[in-house]
Amino acid sequence: MTRPVQPPPPTAGRPSRRALLGSVAGAGAAALLSGCGDDNNTDELSFWNFYGPSPTPSPTSDWFTSVIGEWNRNNDVKVRPRFIANAAYINGNTLQTAFSAGSGPDIFLLSPGDFLRYQNGGALLDLTPFLPKGVRADYVPGALDTRTVDGRVYALPMEIEPLVIYYDRRAFEKAHVAEGDLPKTWDQFLSLATKLTTKSRFGAMFETLPGYYQNFVWYPFLWQGGGGAVKDGKSTFDSTAARNALGFWQETQRRHIAPKSALGGGSGDTPSNLAAGYCAMQQSGIWAVADLKLQAPKFDYGIFPLPIPDGGKHVTDGGGWAFAVNAKGKNPEAAAEFVAWALASTDRAGIDRARKWNTVAKTNLPPRASVRKAAEAHDAFTSGVLETFATQIAPTLRSEPRYPPEVYKAISDAIQGTQLSGKDPQQAAREASDVIDNFLLTYRGGSIL
Amino acid sequence: MTTSAKALSERASSTSTASGTGTTRRRRETRAAWLFLAPDAVGLLLFVALPMVFALALSLFDVDGFGNYRWIGLDNFHRMLSDPMLSRAIWVTVKYVVLFVPLSFVAGLGLALLVWNKFPGVAAVRTLFFLPNALSLVVIGLLWQFLLVDKQGVLTHAARPFGLGDVSFLGDPKWALATYVFISVWYSMGYQMLLFMAGLNDIEGEHLDAARVDGAGAWQRFRHVIWPLLGPTSFFVLITSLVASVTGLQAFDLVYVLTKGGPDNQTSTVVFYIYQQAFSFGHFGYAAAITVMLVAFLVAVTAVLFKATGGGRFHAR
Repeated sequence: MTRPVQPPPPTAGRPSRRALLGSVAGAGAAALLSGCGDDNNTDELSFWNFYGPSPTPSPTSDWFTSVIGEWNRNNDVKVRPRFIANAAYINGNTLQTAFSAGSGPDIFLLSPGDFLRYQNGGALLDLTPFLPKGVRADYVPGALDTRTVDGRVYALPMEIEPLVIYYDRRAFEKAHVAEGDLPKTWDQFLSLATKLTTKSRFGAMFETLPGYYQNFVWYPFLWQGGGGAVKDGKSTFDSTAARNALGFWQETQRRHIAPKSALGGGSGDTPSNLAAGYCAMQQSGIWAVADLKLQAPKFDYGIFPLPIPDGGKHVTDGGGWAFAVNAKGKNPEAAAEFVAWALASTDRAGIDRARKWNTVAKTNLPPRASVRKAAEAHDAFTSGVLETFATQIAPTLRSEPRYPPEVYKAISDAIQGTQLSGKDPQQAAREASDVIDNFLLTYRGGSIL
Repeated sequence: MTTSAKALSERASSTSTASGTGTTRRRRETRAAWLFLAPDAVGLLLFVALPMVFALALSLFDVDGFGNYRWIGLDNFHRMLSDPMLSRAIWVTVKYVVLFVPLSFVAGLGLALLVWNKFPGVAAVRTLFFLPNALSLVVIGLLWQFLLVDKQGVLTHAARPFGLGDVSFLGDPKWALATYVFISVWYSMGYQMLLFMAGLNDIEGEHLDAARVDGAGAWQRFRHVIWPLLGPTSFFVLITSLVASVTGLQAFDLVYVLTKGGPDNQTSTVVFYIYQQAFSFGHFGYAAAITVMLVAFLVAVTAVLFKATGGGRFHAR
């Protein structure tokens, strides 16, 4: 009888093919499953932000780490921060993708431009019941407006970031421009920018890339002439104020006194543009004070309020981010308690925490009167450009609007068309207004402010 | 049982056992083949097939990105017909494809012919041309942004003697798309060079030798020998560059980093518009509907091209 053919025995010390396949499949499954962490642990709250803990040490990262650490030491429900790089958080899809997948973070940072989309989508928890008594009155006028729907607060602002014009003192000196010649009107600004423009430097810089930021920095020029975008459910964009504001930015391009593209992180990045000698005047926010101190400490600069049209009024845009809580998160109540504790505590420690964020970790205007008072007691706004922000700029603040994406896009197209393609401002304003009106016919959601 | 009958029986038994073992072995090998194919098949199913089905389903809903779905049937497809921004994005994409596909084809083929011949340092030259493909498109975008910035960019300076010193290559609506095409071609030509080189290396040396013996010059050898035999490779390059220019990485990543779709929507491609609709505006259903339309268009164009050219085998027709 012939001996049946047997498969060779597995070589000792060498895995069989089946064992190899098994281990590969096992490793794959383990890798897949490892992605499914314990998402239902109500004692751990995720906090997505673009500050900390950052891989690069920074005062803002330190503040986030320290505040979260303090909370975690004293509470059973722990907060776990997740750092997402600024570009990916602000312009990327990380946050939106997480919400779309039903796994949005418990706590996150939200800009005014995105507020209505999240609120209308039911993603934001009403924070009103968690706020300490009387704290709403402590917020400076307008600070909570764009985060409030039907009298309920859905996000807590951590800062106010007003816009001004920064200028290069060396460039001014070389052009024999004295501090007393700082421009007050659009015409004066255009003349001065023309004078400051050289072969290798632009006289002025405004944002040219389309996006929420460009709209944000353009709105003050619209408001200065009494313009707006939406009122009582109708578009008000087709106005003289809008046409003039569009025309003002267009003029900076027509005269070749402003660039069409910026260096570094864009037109809000003063160290890469103003300090680098790319332009002599640059529109940017209060955050630039900290940026310049950190990245160009020897750079000699000054600031002045945004120029206004003849007969216009001084007004600037008060941007700034807010803490928000995912209404469909693991433990929304605990998350709301954390947010209220971090930003709205009325005790001395709470006020000091907010003061440190606004004047030590960053340079902002604090959104609460008590915090501003505490900051003044620490000499935060008693000298230099920050004093100008506190005394001259703060009274002209208006909150960043919370326009839905369709309104934002219509205005963005009007700005881009006039600024860069030379489109007639009258036509651009009318077309944008028609688009906005068309959208408002079917809009259902929070009031557009 | 006689001796011969015993031998026959043993042989039959032996054959039956061997056959049984063969079947078992085949079954084991089939199972192993499936196991080896499984990761790829599962990956394709999970990350390509299922999302496609999901996108098709999504296109029939109004989806806000926060877990709210509302059935709207074909409304998203109707909306496409009256969306001027989509029409504009399609027009930008058409211009981009019309410029990019032939230019990158010619550049890739030219480079392949250049480095097909052996000369000292040819490996370094090939590597140099392919190098952009080893970089992230985001890095490439930032690099070109730096080189082309108004007034101070290195290339802006270099363009000054040609009267282009005041041009904003990325910020001027008249120049932005051309600049974007130029950077895309620069990025893609190395990869296409490799594909063409593979095609060139497949050409039998005898064909070229015979052409030489018959007195064919360089151009005639290219026109009558190389070009026809490169048909399948050319077809592959054409289809892949067409698909890449409409939906590929450079159709989104480069736009995102370089211009954000600006200036004045001049570089807002369909893919970028889809991204905006989904992630900036929260119109996931509408974004899915545009995606479905785009995929259907690409499948149709590919099928027509395949049918018309026989997959690039012109000489066999």
